[in-house]
Amino acid sequence: MTDLTAMMAGDRDVVMSCRVRLARNVSGFPFVGRATHPQRREVLETVRAAAGPDEATVGLVGGGRVGASAAESLSWVDLAALPKRDRQLLWERHLISRQFAEGDSPRAVAVTPDERFSLMVNEEDHVRIQVLRTGNLLREAFDAAVRVDATLGSRLDFAFHPKWGYLTACPTNVGCGIRIGVMVHLRALRVTNEIEKVKRAAKELHLAVRGFHGEGSEATGDWFQISNQRTLGVTETGLLEEFAGRIVPAVVAYEREARRVLLERQRTLLEDRVFRGISLLRSARLLGLDEAMKQLSSVRLGVCLGLIPDVALDTLNRLTIQLQSAHLRAGESGIESDDDERAARARVARTILGEQ
Amino acid sequence: MAAPFRPCDHCAKPAVVHNTVIVNGQMNEVHLCEDHAGAAGIQMPGQAPIHQLLGQLAQVAVTRPRGPACPECGHTFHDFKTSGLLGCPACYDAFASTVGPVIERSHGGASEHIGNVPARADDANQRAALLQQLLRELETAVSAEQYERAAQLRDRIKDLRPTTAARIDGAL
Repeated sequence: MTDLTAMMAGDRDVVMSCRVRLARNVSGFPFVGRATHPQRREVLETVRAAAGPDEATVGLVGGGRVGASAAESLSWVDLAALPKRDRQLLWERHLISRQFAEGDSPRAVAVTPDERFSLMVNEEDHVRIQVLRTGNLLREAFDAAVRVDATLGSRLDFAFHPKWGYLTACPTNVGCGIRIGVMVHLRALRVTNEIEKVKRAAKELHLAVRGFHGEGSEATGDWFQISNQRTLGVTETGLLEEFAGRIVPAVVAYEREARRVLLERQRTLLEDRVFRGISLLRSARLLGLDEAMKQLSSVRLGVCLGLIPDVALDTLNRLTIQLQSAHLRAGESGIESDDDERAARARVARTILGEQ
Repeated sequence: MAAPFRPCDHCAKPAVVHNTVIVNGQMNEVHLCEDHAGAAGIQMPGQAPIHQLLGQLAQVAVTRPRGPACPECGHTFHDFKTSGLLGCPACYDAFASTVGPVIERSHGGASEHIGNVPARADDANQRAALLQQLLRELETAVSAEQYERAAQLRDRIKDLRPTTAARIDGAL
């Protein structure tokens, strides 16, 4: 059962997750796109050695975190040796970018067991530090990312320029090399046709609005990633304050207001969508990804408004990942055709949401 | 579809060169076989001497408008325009005049890093970044008429780079 008050306090009714990403390059090497395979291997080994074997050595554990002494090991995954399906799996879990999932050059990702941290080596830049959190925990994610950056920066010479700051392969990341982003569920703003206003306002604030899987993806099922575009002429803490103190609260308030208006003026229509959604997910035998995401979006809205008390928000968050293609194929053998996949998706949805 | 057969103007062999010439405002078509074209001094396509052909190719490769290359990694501005990516850290200085404005445009007109400095940035870099930061703070302090703060900042700047501080002394 979902505790609505607790959910609202952490903005989890609107903010699905947040992310802080830092782009860094190791001095003395060409950027990844220009580097030869032996150079990329050298970068990989250098970063791997600097990151060390566990969370503590990479700098993630610190600041008096409970259980800090029990350091957990980082899992290093060699992308070049990984089967295609497993690469897609990592991408579906938002642990790596689509670009990183493709190609055969030397590259790897380190992931913590809780999957809240990943370190991509040899993506567009030599090092991409990424910290993920469920809900609106931007400050926590920021602190962790900065801590890892400081640790790695004390062991590696990061390419830096007094005028341009941290040097990155793409000049759009230069300066702080930081991307702060939130994944928000803006179902009501979409229904009330106000999403364009949000996009326009975001553009004016130099923010990027992207789909469920970030760059190059269209918004799927009402999920949007909002992130900063400017990384030069701003400070890391300035950006954090802008996001955590201004942008996220504004977006959350705007979506909540749209939900309130919907409930007040179109309650029957809203309930119809929500209950159709949950019925469909609990009874369908064939389920396409787009349809699943669309119905999950309706159900999520229902759960956040207290209309479906027996479904937990965490369950829905988990489902948005588990119903993706590579996750279904990893969970069940013998999925070959599209229909096999749609049948598997329907089975997983029914099982997790409880068939009725 | 194959071209219709057309004999040479001077013999029955098939014409392989078809030219239109204008003499005294009069347009005439000329059709020549391989032999008569050679006799008229017309170079057959594909028959250019190999050394001449290779020379032309080499010239094309050299003069293709790719712009200057980064002395460190060989990346050109053309490469940057095609991929949107730079080749190495040194490219930022190698293409300062062309990439600089692009960077500023994509960051809302900002032209300077004001964020964190890496722990191991070499001393010169770190000093330069700190100096720029202090100079900015000094400018703000002076324009806000906070002279005590300005004096403190000037001292710190003096420690960092005496020559700059002397210049500022003169300006104040």
